[in-house]
Amino acid sequence: MRRQLLGLGATVAGLVAVVVSHPGKAPGMKPAATSKAAGPPPQVSGPVAPSTGGASGSATGKAENYGYGTLDVSVSVSGGRIVDVSVPQLHTLESYSQSIAQQVIPMLRQEVLQAQSANIQGVSGATYTSEAYAYSLQAALTTLGFK
Amino acid sequence: MLSRPGIPPHPWVVDVAVVVVGIGLGAAVGSTVTTETRSQLSQPGGPEIFLGSLSGMAGTYLALVMLLLVSRVPPVERVLGQDGLLRWHRRLAPWPLGLIGAHAVLLILGYALAAHIGVVHEASAMATSSATMLAATVAVIVMIAIGVASIHQIRRRMRRETWWLLHLFMYLALALAFAHEVVLGPSFVAHPLARILWSVAWVAVAALVAVYRIGMPLVRTLRHRLQVQEVRPEAPGIVSVILSGRHLERLAVSGGQFFEWRFLTRGMWWQAHPFTLSARPSPPYVRLTVKAVGDFTDAVGRLEPGTKVAIEGPYGAFTVHAWRRSRVALLAGGIGVTAVRSLLEDLPLRSQPIVLLRATSAEELVLDDEIAELARVRRGRVERILGPRHQVSMEREIVKHIPHFRTRDFFICGPEGFVNECRRAMASLSVPKDAVHHEVYRL
Repeated sequence: MRRQLLGLGATVAGLVAVVVSHPGKAPGMKPAATSKAAGPPPQVSGPVAPSTGGASGSATGKAENYGYGTLDVSVSVSGGRIVDVSVPQLHTLESYSQSIAQQVIPMLRQEVLQAQSANIQGVSGATYTSEAYAYSLQAALTTLGFK
Repeated sequence: MLSRPGIPPHPWVVDVAVVVVGIGLGAAVGSTVTTETRSQLSQPGGPEIFLGSLSGMAGTYLALVMLLLVSRVPPVERVLGQDGLLRWHRRLAPWPLGLIGAHAVLLILGYALAAHIGVVHEASAMATSSATMLAATVAVIVMIAIGVASIHQIRRRMRRETWWLLHLFMYLALALAFAHEVVLGPSFVAHPLARILWSVAWVAVAALVAVYRIGMPLVRTLRHRLQVQEVRPEAPGIVSVILSGRHLERLAVSGGQFFEWRFLTRGMWWQAHPFTLSARPSPPYVRLTVKAVGDFTDAVGRLEPGTKVAIEGPYGAFTVHAWRRSRVALLAGGIGVTAVRSLLEDLPLRSQPIVLLRATSAEELVLDDEIAELARVRRGRVERILGPRHQVSMEREIVKHIPHFRTRDFFICGPEGFVNECRRAMASLSVPKDAVHHEVYRL
């Protein structure tokens, strides 16, 4: 009995230590407006209109490494609205990750078109993919001066 | 001078080990918790996937702990003993198996819900999408098969040898599952430190298994080159096997310990069975005494002189080192007499041991002349308790034959029923728990 309690106490201690020491992650999929620097500069095509009213054009965010692979997100904006999102580049280390990403990307696209921003919920079971998608998308939107 | 094993580590080593293992479990679970975001828990399949990751992590961690338990690394072995190891093994085993099974089910369900596709479709997509997932699928099927075979009612119908062989596949399953953990596990992807720690832990435990389950037995087998010298009948169905070997003075073994024996003949070489030494080695000979209860033990009685023998061990914590109080009593049921016989040899002169030998009839008493002589030299005495089980109360016999039973250590060895009866008697006589040392013979 004493040993069970000892083990239980140690388990709780280990759990708390890891959770507390972990750099806190913001709930939700809200990426920082300025992505973590480095990487190739985002490519912009079309007229960039960093003004109020309506940004237009399309841009591709920087490639994000999300552990299972890398992806970048390309976004088209017209009249202040996100009209299309796609993933021109997707490389995964492993074919299982590839098949997950292929399932998830259309769902993320749908979320972005609905939310009209990079502030999306993400898809469960694909936390890292969703995060990388949101970051790359935010980078592209920033270069377009969107919002 | 014969070599003797070192003094076993103090029981507080177990407490420290429990704390370390607990912290590790907490950290493993915690590392999964931190990979999850709150918003995803509210998504379709979110809770299932989160719980699936958690149970996979916890289950695999517990599997690692079990692997350490079966590695026979000496400190663990000496503190827990055979009885303790088996008890822990049985108590723990359902957890990793259940959690890993839940891991597979929950993740299939979760991903199916997230992708809005059928469970069967999702399961087959998962299993076949990559090499690591295919390996993991094979692993979980093997684990579930072993888990099912372990259910008491099913296991009872299997031969011990089949069961043992099936068990070996657990090593394969754990190895197959490893790749998908570090390549796909959310706690390890993008967390290189966690990945390194996890890999190091598994490699280290695997190395311990290789050294202590394979390396050391091989070294000892080759050093001592044991072979059957003589097979001598002791009683109906009970034989002593006398082996001869080299350098037996270097074999560090205590009375009451056992080896896993592997007789290298056709049909027997592939299985090892535990038998206690029925006497401390007297170079160039060692002796074990075996009761015929199955195919294997039957075959032991027909061993030809010259048969080569491989050993694993010595194992067991049923030794004189456990003795703490001033007096001592030894209780042997049936073939449990072998451990008591060799343990008696380790007791000092003037230790005045009281030995109770329990058997159904006089002809089932084996080695009792030797025991009487060893006890006499130590100024102790031997009581023989005969009769069918329903007519004999061990509690009454203990009260009758053993004075000062509150200042004594008790060493009990025999079949499970006998050991349990004696332990119950000890409890009702208020003998302190740490004064009772026991070893069960599982037939």
